[in-house]
Amino acid sequence: MISFKNVNKWYGDLHVLNNINLEVDAGEVVVVCGPSGSGKSTLIRCINRLEPIQEGELVVDNMAVHDKKTNMTKVRAEIGFVFQSFNLYPHMTALQNTTIAPIKVRKMKKADAEELGRETLTRVGLKDRINSYPAQLSGGQQQRVAIARGLCMNPKIMLFDEPTSALDPEMIGEVLDTIKMLAKGGMTMVVVTHEMGFAREVANRVVFMDDGYIVEVAPPNDFFRNAQTERGKAFLSSILSH
Amino acid sequence: MWSFYFHELMRSLPFFMKGVWMTVAVAGLSLIAGTIIGFICGIMRAGRNKILRAVIGVWVDIVRGTPFLVQIFIIFFILPGIGIELDAFSAAVIALSNLSASFICEIVAGGILSVPKGQREAATASGLSQYHQLRFIVLPQAMRTVLPPLVGQYVLSIKDSSVVSAIGVVDITRVGWFTVQRIPEGIMVFGLVGLLYFAICYPLINLSGYLERRMTVMTIRL
Repeated sequence: MISFKNVNKWYGDLHVLNNINLEVDAGEVVVVCGPSGSGKSTLIRCINRLEPIQEGELVVDNMAVHDKKTNMTKVRAEIGFVFQSFNLYPHMTALQNTTIAPIKVRKMKKADAEELGRETLTRVGLKDRINSYPAQLSGGQQQRVAIARGLCMNPKIMLFDEPTSALDPEMIGEVLDTIKMLAKGGMTMVVVTHEMGFAREVANRVVFMDDGYIVEVAPPNDFFRNAQTERGKAFLSSILSH
Repeated sequence: MWSFYFHELMRSLPFFMKGVWMTVAVAGLSLIAGTIIGFICGIMRAGRNKILRAVIGVWVDIVRGTPFLVQIFIIFFILPGIGIELDAFSAAVIALSNLSASFICEIVAGGILSVPKGQREAATASGLSQYHQLRFIVLPQAMRTVLPPLVGQYVLSIKDSSVVSAIGVVDITRVGWFTVQRIPEGIMVFGLVGLLYFAICYPLINLSGYLERRMTVMTIRL
């Protein structure tokens, strides 16, 4: 479903992605972790070309994201993206946030899109907040609206860029539960997160990045119990010690 | 003597009303054109094309860095020299449109750039086209920042329109010039001139203040 082949990316002189090779199969849940500045956010932002890559091949759902001629609108319509800072549209209600892309990109009728929006917001537990504006919602609720916004495009892939890092601790659970629900429904997902309990529960594989390199790829239990590299061990002890 | 002149001035009121109409016509047309051009240029100024951005930047600097009176003279007296003949009214509207557009351009560009980057990213990620992003995500949010100074700019442009009297457009100010030759009570005549400008501008000043308060409230709510 997602395939990185020898992908390289630079910001000026800074080599942020270093010869990345990674395959994500349909229905697979991959958790990406690593210290800040390791390139994990950049990695998933490349998948829908929020960031361009300079070298290598990146194929998503049989479409060549590395190719400048590829119609990215078509690729992006198949990929839901959830940001750390939610990025809901503040001038629109929760429902409008979820319907704008289906109406404008999928050319769905307004009434159909609204029905889909209501259904999806109900699914993420926000039945009674459908007409609320983002500012009237808690962080956890906002992030669930953002997830619903992605789901309303009926995507083949969902990408999550540190979806719980901007949340108060008591709201992390509700967002993780929503993501778990999707994982169990068979959605292909790449999740950048430090929530190791979550990774252990739903991830098929954990990708550990450091300094622009993919250092380890392993099933979560193997990685957490028995990291193969020094850097992996150091990272685990730093996040598990508190 | 004073009451005689005041009586005379009242008799000139219809003449003043023609001046008001001319000021409203020049300023109104210029503001419509200036708003359209200003928005288009502002959107491009906040856009991705570096060449367009630079060209518009130079235009804005030139217009803002030269006196409006000089700009009018260039359009009215110098353009005919290269074969572009304009009547005073057209020259006035073109000059004032150009001036308003350059200021509105900067207001609009500033408003667009004040919308957080994440908004565009979210819209891009969901597949919305550049046009749809601008129309449904960026501009509605930018308008909160843009509206109060935009209306403020309308007030400034209406006042700046008095300069067009210099090329013979018979606006409120020009009527004042004519009248003061007949009624040598400068304070009285130009007091009326000022009052008429104020009557046009005051509702807009209030509107600007109202929008400012309203937008602030909305920003807090968001």
